[in-house]
Amino acid sequence: MTSIAVTGLGLATPIGLGHETVWPALLSGRSGFRPVALFDTSRHGTHLGAEVQDFDPAAWVRRLPVSSMGRASHLAIAASRMALADAGIDPEQMTPEAAERFGVTLGTTSGEPLEIERMSDLMVGDRLDELGGELAGRYPCHLIAAHVASELGFAGPNQMIPTACAAGNYAIAFAVEALLAGRADLMIAGGADSFSRMTYTGFGKLGAIAPDLVRPFAKNRKGMIPGEGSGVLVLERTESAISRGARIYAEVAGYGLTCDAHHMTAAHPEGDGPARAMERALRTSGLVAGDVSYVSAHGTGTPTNDKLETLAVHRVFGRGTTVPVSSIKSMIGHTMGAASAIEAAVCSLAIHEGWIPPTMNYDEPDPECDLDCVPNQARQVRVDVAMNNAYAFGGNNASVIFRRPHAPA
Amino acid sequence: MPPREVVVTGLGLLSPLGDTPEALHEALLAGEVGIKPIELFDPSLLTTKLGGEIRPFEPQRYLGERNLRPLDRTSRLLISAATRALEDAGWTEEARNGRELSLAVGTTYCSMHTIGEFDRRGLKLGPNYVSPFDFANSVINAAAGQTAIWHKLAGVNSTLAGGEASGLQAIAYGADLIRTGQADMVLAGGVEELCFESSIAYSRAGRLAGGEVGSETNGRPVPFDRARDGFAPGEGAGLLVLEAAEVAEARGAKIHARIAGSGAAFAPDRNGDFAAALSRAIRAAWTSSGAEGGAFLCVSSGASGARELDAWEAEGIARGLEAAGVSGLPVTAIKANLGEALGASGAFQAMSLIATLADGRIPGIAGLESTDPGFPLTGVSAASRAFATAPGTLALATAICADGPVMALLLAAP
Repeated sequence: MTSIAVTGLGLATPIGLGHETVWPALLSGRSGFRPVALFDTSRHGTHLGAEVQDFDPAAWVRRLPVSSMGRASHLAIAASRMALADAGIDPEQMTPEAAERFGVTLGTTSGEPLEIERMSDLMVGDRLDELGGELAGRYPCHLIAAHVASELGFAGPNQMIPTACAAGNYAIAFAVEALLAGRADLMIAGGADSFSRMTYTGFGKLGAIAPDLVRPFAKNRKGMIPGEGSGVLVLERTESAISRGARIYAEVAGYGLTCDAHHMTAAHPEGDGPARAMERALRTSGLVAGDVSYVSAHGTGTPTNDKLETLAVHRVFGRGTTVPVSSIKSMIGHTMGAASAIEAAVCSLAIHEGWIPPTMNYDEPDPECDLDCVPNQARQVRVDVAMNNAYAFGGNNASVIFRRPHAPA
Repeated sequence: MPPREVVVTGLGLLSPLGDTPEALHEALLAGEVGIKPIELFDPSLLTTKLGGEIRPFEPQRYLGERNLRPLDRTSRLLISAATRALEDAGWTEEARNGRELSLAVGTTYCSMHTIGEFDRRGLKLGPNYVSPFDFANSVINAAAGQTAIWHKLAGVNSTLAGGEASGLQAIAYGADLIRTGQADMVLAGGVEELCFESSIAYSRAGRLAGGEVGSETNGRPVPFDRARDGFAPGEGAGLLVLEAAEVAEARGAKIHARIAGSGAAFAPDRNGDFAAALSRAIRAAWTSSGAEGGAFLCVSSGASGARELDAWEAEGIARGLEAAGVSGLPVTAIKANLGEALGASGAFQAMSLIATLADGRIPGIAGLESTDPGFPLTGVSAASRAFATAPGTLALATAICADGPVMALLLAAP
């Protein structure tokens, strides 16, 4: 199969902007958890969130009015501009012919939730007469991908994929198909979500939010912490990346998308869907489990997720597997639709840089999470193949496999 | 592996004009309009009081006596359409035992009503009193997830959002998954519910019919007509069972149509470049179909009665067909009858075209009296017409999302 190259990375995360900042922060175990600033949490049982700090949208949004769009669009435009610059492409220098061959696909969980929250405020406050045309112009989630494409002048395929917390991986899979089918020559692929009271309240009601820290795979883990951000990869066919002399971080080797078809918010009790996604990803990559050097876990830090994810990893890799499995959600929280896109960038960097980021806050081992989760210390090791796992509401499971680029012939 | 051929083996829909493709086709040919005074919510704040509402909607007819409480209107609509589509394709639970069916759902909001209800309850009563059911249904892939659970669809489960283009996006993606071997069978189409939240959003943005000073439409959408001043909100669900031709043939399935090709593009300026984008999408669909020289029957356009988008869509269709060496084709616009059902619209267009490819009868555009000066399409008509059709005859569906994405989908008679 034609291979797909990762040639640019853009990150907007609770621990910084740009992979030049975020990568060393991940390797040093920096925490992105702070008291929630966006809304009052005094009636909530928890108070920490993982918001993107010190972010000035005006530094990134240049063609469209900054105030014409929501925060997820701001974050996505920032990450997309970073990724494109990282790939050595200047959108101002693009020919119209090239622009028609450049597309955008992004995943999200909630789209632009702050926009419908404003509508709720008006309705509950009996002030609906103040609602104008801005809701239709700012809320629909496809606006995130549309705003990115309008900012960059990309006129190729444009697709929003709202498949919740696995959406980043779903978008990468969509981009792979678009590139393989020759529908585009370059795709911005990733995910974006903004922090929101709805998301925080909903996960709080499910009892899924940790009060202090996210401790994936540790015995006394207490839950996840909602976050926000955007992760973007520039993807192109490897031969065109090589012909323009682009740096290639990694290649997308294959992917597997499956559905539990079991329950909306609870995972399958044996981790069946996640295991099938990993198996499909290996099969489409032409690889076997023993080829994998690193697994970027979904690893939310909830008691159930980490236990079932361990079961699924055991089913695919064998009980007693020594494959390193780490979760950066221990540092940046759960950035929802952005999560697997940010983690895809992490997989690419792990291959390119030869380091695996740690699972932080790991204290007491849990026999039900019997994995090498790279506890508390980054690890320097050659990574040839990295598997990126993501799971979501709706029973959606997505595994994408990245591999070291073949040396140019 | 060479790309595989993709065929349509099952159709399931719920529309304001019936719950079978045959009923929809006959109603469209007869010029029936399913856009009526909205009863689902109080429409008094909207510029139009009319909508393409499914009434009565009795989910038990499709879903039986199982517990429907966890499902909102959007999920009920989509699961019902899936039931019909799987039945039509002959994919009983027994027949597909051990097979992983995939699902590709186009939608714009999934349930903006559920999302709004969830948030307002939290605001009024406090965060401890929100509904976990509503939270599970507040994700935009909720209807796809609920449908997968109901029908045990364990393959790819994707939701594609692109406003008015969502449905065609999902069908095109489903076909791509089959072509490249990622899936053997995909339920592809879309869903949208009629609700207050999305309707007031469009009304305040001036996009619904009846909002212009001196409006002559009485709130009715009249695609391509000079008097048009907006669309009517609609709803529904439609799913096509897409299947690798070899799988369908091996089990002796009835083949309704073939997915011949598709094209996607984007209009970065969201202005005059819509016509250029649509023309590119049509050319891409044409090229991907390898159908040079094939006979074209007609176009089902996504024109909805929107003042500017309809004009751009007409120009884009004319330019795209011209590039493919075709002119003067009949063009229809079924949102005159159904309203703008966003994610479901593309599936409605595709199913209407499949019926047209089978019998050659093309619905007229209800309410069309006169077009703009210099209108570039010669093939629009208020009256339904009949033409010859034959195996391999092509038909085109188009859609423009007001926020930039555009789609073209080519179907072929089996």
